[in-house]
Amino acid sequence: MSQSVLEVEDLSVTIATPSGPLQAVRNISFDIKRGESVCLVGESGCGKSMTSLAIMGLLPPAAKRSARRLAFAGEDLAGASMKRINQLRGDRMAMIFQEPMTALNPAYTIGDQLIEVHRRHKQQGDRIARERAVYLLEKVGIASAAERLGQYPHQLSGGLRQRVMIAMSLMCEPDLLIADEPTTALDVTIQAQILRLLADLQKEFGVALLLITHDLGVVARVADRVNVMYAGEIVESAAVADLFAKPSHPYTRGLLDCIPIPGKTAPGEELGTIPGTVPSLIGGIQGCAFMSRCPLAQGVCAEGAPLRHTNDTHAYRCIVEAA
Amino acid sequence: MNKSATMGTLLEMRGVTRTFQVSQGLFSKSRTLQAVDGVDLDVKRGEVLGIVGESGCGKSTLAKMLLGLLPPSSGTIRLEGQDVSGLPRKELARRVQPVFQDPYSSLNPRRTLSSIVSLPLEVQGVRSDERRERSIAMLDKVGLPRRFADNYPSQLSGGQRQRVAIARALVSNPEIVVCDEPTSALDVSVQSQILNLLMELRRELGLTYVFISHNLAVVEHIATRVAVMYLGRMVEQTTTAELFRAPRHPYTEVLLASVLTPEPGLGVPDAGMSAIAPDPLNPPPGCRFHPRCPKAFSPCTTQDPRLVADGEAAVACHLYTQPHTAAA
Amino acid sequence: MVDVASAPKAPPNAALETAAETAAAPLPTGAGATTPPSTLRRMFRHRGLTIGAFLVGTIIFVALFAPLIVPHDPYAQDLTRRLIPPVWYEKGSWAHIFGTDNLGRDYFSRTLYGAQIALLIGFSVMIVSGFIGSALGLIAGYFGGKVDMVVTFFITTRLAMPVVLVALAVVAMIGSSLFVVIAVLGLLKWDRFAVVMRSATMQVRSQEYVSAAQAAGASTWRIVIGEILPNVMPHLIVVATVEAGSAILLEAALSFLGLGVQPPLPSWGLMISEAKNFMFFSFWLIAIPGTALALLVLGVNLLGDGLRDVFAPGGRS
Repeated sequence: MSQSVLEVEDLSVTIATPSGPLQAVRNISFDIKRGESVCLVGESGCGKSMTSLAIMGLLPPAAKRSARRLAFAGEDLAGASMKRINQLRGDRMAMIFQEPMTALNPAYTIGDQLIEVHRRHKQQGDRIARERAVYLLEKVGIASAAERLGQYPHQLSGGLRQRVMIAMSLMCEPDLLIADEPTTALDVTIQAQILRLLADLQKEFGVALLLITHDLGVVARVADRVNVMYAGEIVESAAVADLFAKPSHPYTRGLLDCIPIPGKTAPGEELGTIPGTVPSLIGGIQGCAFMSRCPLAQGVCAEGAPLRHTNDTHAYRCIVEAA
Repeated sequence: MNKSATMGTLLEMRGVTRTFQVSQGLFSKSRTLQAVDGVDLDVKRGEVLGIVGESGCGKSTLAKMLLGLLPPSSGTIRLEGQDVSGLPRKELARRVQPVFQDPYSSLNPRRTLSSIVSLPLEVQGVRSDERRERSIAMLDKVGLPRRFADNYPSQLSGGQRQRVAIARALVSNPEIVVCDEPTSALDVSVQSQILNLLMELRRELGLTYVFISHNLAVVEHIATRVAVMYLGRMVEQTTTAELFRAPRHPYTEVLLASVLTPEPGLGVPDAGMSAIAPDPLNPPPGCRFHPRCPKAFSPCTTQDPRLVADGEAAVACHLYTQPHTAAA
Repeated sequence: MVDVASAPKAPPNAALETAAETAAAPLPTGAGATTPPSTLRRMFRHRGLTIGAFLVGTIIFVALFAPLIVPHDPYAQDLTRRLIPPVWYEKGSWAHIFGTDNLGRDYFSRTLYGAQIALLIGFSVMIVSGFIGSALGLIAGYFGGKVDMVVTFFITTRLAMPVVLVALAVVAMIGSSLFVVIAVLGLLKWDRFAVVMRSATMQVRSQEYVSAAQAAGASTWRIVIGEILPNVMPHLIVVATVEAGSAILLEAALSFLGLGVQPPLPSWGLMISEAKNFMFFSFWLIAIPGTALALLVLGVNLLGDGLRDVFAPGGRS
């Protein structure tokens, strides 16, 4: 029995656009072990959301996925039938989306939506599904859970809706939970509560978590391991303590320099910046994608950036060896 | 001597309140939403006043009143001693300008960049050739050289658009720039560029900023003084250093505790605040924060605390005005 | 091996210099919003739009130059040459390409002149109703509140009226003519303009550049004309084309019923009406104006649909 809940090897996503094929995700590889919390972090356009959609098989029609290996708990996903994918989704693999306002169907009650997932996969009857729904709603901190089942999404605030989403994702006890920017649309205090909740539930239920975010603060507090993405590639991958202690890729370092940290960065001082913009991903990129913005760029970067390892779990793509 | 002509105070708000009528349908009486309730606030010349709070706290409504886009329902706003409601609209507009949050919605897609930036000058009646020169010069100052002048917003990235918005805000040489979440919609690497630009321009042009944000790390970096709002009320005001070193209001403590700094190994903090969000149409009696306050005690359920000044700082909390046993 | 620690730090004034680098970097592709150059290009790529534009353009051309093209006087009757079939029939001749009607008038000439009437009606009604509806929609959308309530009341009342019946009633009461038809239809068919402009205005109104213009002290008039109108124009154009097609059809219907333009004017609707007695033996008398009508309205609708696709954010085609 594989130790890894998710294995991704050389995953690519190409999107057909009027101006040509856009390589949103370029040969990325990572894996997630049982109960582990892995973060995909990057800025807009880096391909992190596309990656999560590719794994779940939810890509838009114009996007094509290819992978050397895409496996869930040892079972191949890439070649699996639609029927099998539908069996897995919602049951063993669940997803939480960014916008709690739009992720719930406004025409159905919370209870209907929670029970539907369970009914679909477990066939244990409505009574058991209902009990589990109430149990999970209470677990996610919603008071008067039984009454809430009869409420409609519009009657709940954003934070509550997101909690319902989390409860819904756990209805069938999945092995993997993919959360795409689950707290970006929420207030700071609610964000902390939701993330805390996710961490607690993860420990309690042993769910592996793939968390997609642009916020390095979230990464530091939630992740066990981190993959930093830039222009469709994973440019650095490390255990969380390693990443922040010894950021090795110039992009990671640049990102960390940009962020003001109360107590650490001097107020009023100029913040670090990453000059330039992300290059166009249409029609492929030659060599290192970060070259145009990198303070360490050299001519040979145009030929590509080799994979380096600081230690067993810390890898990065750069021509320059980090000191 | 008129207090508001005191050296340094540029803008003075006293008892500013703004209510909205929210209709409850055809057959029910409409209810009153107090978006901003009795706010006292001073903006000193040359400072960066940060206003923080979460959704529903009223900071955006406050911003609109500062800009003259909404009149207060009651209370006064004085700009250099003059009541703002008595000022002609164009005069206020020349002196207080905004930078908004969404770079994709703050620029008219059908105008060229120089036309967008010169709109405030157009309204002031400046001649067309002078307008063009000044707008091109300002675009250059924010980092968009001359050749951009006749481009359209759709050709720009988010960060570039925000620069255009800043240029537009500065072209009429305002005294106060109200920044309403100017970097919240931008990537981190772009955010730092814009923040640096804002700090640079403030030094160079001697500007005063009112900087509204929910991002406390950014506010700590750029603001000289901070005001914290909760459910329409001002709950704490003090210098930035003091606020982050020793927050006084329990809500401020919760806010600061919820900030996730990129420091691994600390886990996600438990700020100790109840998750149940209040209904803004039906705020709790007494202190609005009391149902969620980890330090609430008996006066909090019945009496509404006033904002009490203590030197430069101010806080609206019974813990500092009423006798109580010290919290463990 | 480069020592990372000694890599050069960003120089002072980095904000402005990096800004210049940002400015010099290639602009991101696929912005999606419309700008004048790419809109034109998208228009040419859209098949429906080019077909529609071609149809409408041809008919406009024909209408404009009708007096120069027609081989005969469309009003000249010649009872000795009644009901000659079009040229593609056995008995037809090139002297009368579309044959003649029951009064011996050349059908080709009448059809071409009919285009004038159809287009005149279409454009005039579009302009009158467009003006009324857009003004109402803009006002309701911009001011909201009580003003919106009043305008919405008017729109709802108007929507409750059956247009064709009211048009018939009015025309029956005061008599019919080209002018009456235009006035009646123009004063009735503004509802879609109002509805679309109202929601488009509300959408634009919520954009931050409108707030920025207000904060700059711009007057209401300046904001409506300078900020709102240019951005609702695409919606206006689309509705206008659709309404023009609808007006043309409505006029044809009224004329068919005898309550539109009066004979001997060669309105296509009237021509169809006059031809109904000869339907079975001289089929072309109905087919030709019917086809012309269908082609014009099809062209107008394709044009409108195409414009709507081209102006949509992201440009679906």
